[in-house]
Amino acid sequence: MNAMFAIAWKDLRLMFRDKGEMFFTFVFPMLLATFFGFIFAGGSDGGSKIDLALVVEGNSTLAQGIAQDLLADEAFEVTRVAERTLAEDLVRAGKVTAAIILPASMRDGAAGIFSGGGIPIEAIVDPSRRAEVGLIQGKLNELAFRQFPKMFTNPESMAQLMAGARASVAEATDLSPTQKLAAGALIAAGGAFSSSLQGAPQTSTDTTEPGSATGNWSPVSIKVEELAARKGGPRDSFDVSFPQGIVWGLAGCVMAFATSLVSERVRGTLDRLRLAPITRGQILAGKGVACFITALLVQLVLLALTVFAFGSHVQQPAHLLLAFVAAAFAFSGIAMLIAGACRTEAQAQGAGRGALLLLAIIGGGSLPLFLMPPLFKTLSMASPFRWAVSAIEGPFWRDTPFAEQVVPLCILLAIGVLGLLIGVRATHATTR
Amino acid sequence: MLTLRNIRKSFGAIVAVESLSLEIRAGEIFGLLGPNGAGKSTTISIATGLVSPSSGEVDLLSLGSPAQPSVRRHLGLAPQEITLYGGLTARENLLFFASLYGVPHATARADELLCLVELDTRASSRVSTFSGGMKRRLNLAAALVHDPQLLLLDEPTAGVDPQSRNRILELVRVLAAQGKTIVYTTHYMEEAAKVCHRVGIVDHGRLLDIGTPRELIARHGGLSVVVVVQDGVEVRIETSDPAGEVARQLSSGSVHGVRVEQPDLESVFLKLTGRSLRE
Repeated sequence: MNAMFAIAWKDLRLMFRDKGEMFFTFVFPMLLATFFGFIFAGGSDGGSKIDLALVVEGNSTLAQGIAQDLLADEAFEVTRVAERTLAEDLVRAGKVTAAIILPASMRDGAAGIFSGGGIPIEAIVDPSRRAEVGLIQGKLNELAFRQFPKMFTNPESMAQLMAGARASVAEATDLSPTQKLAAGALIAAGGAFSSSLQGAPQTSTDTTEPGSATGNWSPVSIKVEELAARKGGPRDSFDVSFPQGIVWGLAGCVMAFATSLVSERVRGTLDRLRLAPITRGQILAGKGVACFITALLVQLVLLALTVFAFGSHVQQPAHLLLAFVAAAFAFSGIAMLIAGACRTEAQAQGAGRGALLLLAIIGGGSLPLFLMPPLFKTLSMASPFRWAVSAIEGPFWRDTPFAEQVVPLCILLAIGVLGLLIGVRATHATTR
Repeated sequence: MLTLRNIRKSFGAIVAVESLSLEIRAGEIFGLLGPNGAGKSTTISIATGLVSPSSGEVDLLSLGSPAQPSVRRHLGLAPQEITLYGGLTARENLLFFASLYGVPHATARADELLCLVELDTRASSRVSTFSGGMKRRLNLAAALVHDPQLLLLDEPTAGVDPQSRNRILELVRVLAAQGKTIVYTTHYMEEAAKVCHRVGIVDHGRLLDIGTPRELIARHGGLSVVVVVQDGVEVRIETSDPAGEVARQLSSGSVHGVRVEQPDLESVFLKLTGRSLRE
């Protein structure tokens, strides 16, 4: 056991003294995470559709109209769900950017606009997707405004509105008789104007700017709520970019240790280790422990940076630690796999680094998974980095139930076990 | 001390060692000589237990095969390559190897060895900053860290300057005087002649002959050569009586110069292994 830890300690010292490895394992991921954090905070490129969950709680014609327009809008990929809680779960799981709730309080007719603060729409958003919130709000305003011609040209609706207004004026105690008379005349004029619209062609208001020519009043009331923030979770794009940083940190760590084992074999130091009265298993375990510790350290350093420098909040610390351990184990296995598969340092540096780079890119290292086209999302399943990101994001800021975290954790453990088994076997074969 | 019995080792169709038997005696410096690809390093690897022979037996100290960790702790190897960690200091390298063997008072042992190889003033310097000769000396010290009874030195003077080579040869003599048994492979015949008690010459995986340098020279060195310069022309005369031949040539009066070439280990080596170039 002492020999194993001696090897691990030696490898850690060598790692921390190598400025190049330190840069690619620790500094580069931090720079990337910070860079992407700022980039994502700045705005979306709008290149792909925004996933939304839609809940229509009422059965008003207005709500159905907005829902239909939302479903038909090319900017969105809308999934209709029956209940608000289900929609929130989809947001929390990162499957949609926002849940749009058309509440039961959304009433038909123009009365809904002029009483109670406008057409009520609720948007429950993923706080890491703030860049897209503006776009969603704008689109919702547009869709709501599209419903106005239908309301104002509907005589029944207008008649209801006018009758309501007349009743309100008649019941008002703070108006003088003169004021009531003037208000009645105004309402009568409005009714005559509405009647004149009957039979007139309905014009589109698609180009109407929300709130234009209305001062500060808006007939649409969009209430945006950040789901995770409400639960005390992460706040912004840095919560997404730091798992990305972790991807690159793990990649750097894997390459450092895979190359170190290949170097030991090529340069003969592995033979010197094998000459000592220790087993080959102890040697490889020592290497694995060093890789595991470094991988864990990389994640903790990046977490410390995002928590202390960018104010992120960890939703489930114990589960996050579990995810870190699983990721460190998986990538220690991958380091062994690459070390076993590569015969020369050039192979490890070239083919090994290339393969890892590709897996990191499709696994969410360069572009977050939610921004990827569907094909790449599917491809990402083959990348261990994708499972590391999923395992980390769940307890970090998504606050997903533990049952949902089990799948990525198990996949990471399986990757680790497979990598270790194949890598150790291959290393044995090459050192025989 | 170390016995190799009828060792054969092949890598696919290539036979690296064939029917090789050796008996290394306690306390001796044994030189294993041979051209490139003769099978010296494979023989050393088999002797250490790092490589398993295809057939044959190896026994160290009558304890069994050095493939067993408990047996191979009695031997130390300074491989042909510099098998040190450049990112660690000289002392850290020795302490690391000492920790693998569970050496007690490791720091004192490391400092003792650093003094022995005259690197005590550079103990805290990283090995990556060392010259080739310094690395060779530390490579040797690393093989000694657990105080083994048998020391295997695979070309320990390859690529070093004459001063470092001389220092390494002195060290080998000192270690032998301390009772260590040493197996030494080299290309340098004069080194082997200087330090080795016995020498074995191998080629194509076979042991061609074994004996003291003097015995090998007597068996294979041939006659002495008296080189006579007459009228600007060198004439080589093989003789078993070089002194008598020199006297005869000088008495003839027309000689401008005379020198005697005695057979040495190199002539034995070339006679046994041939003069063709090896890859």
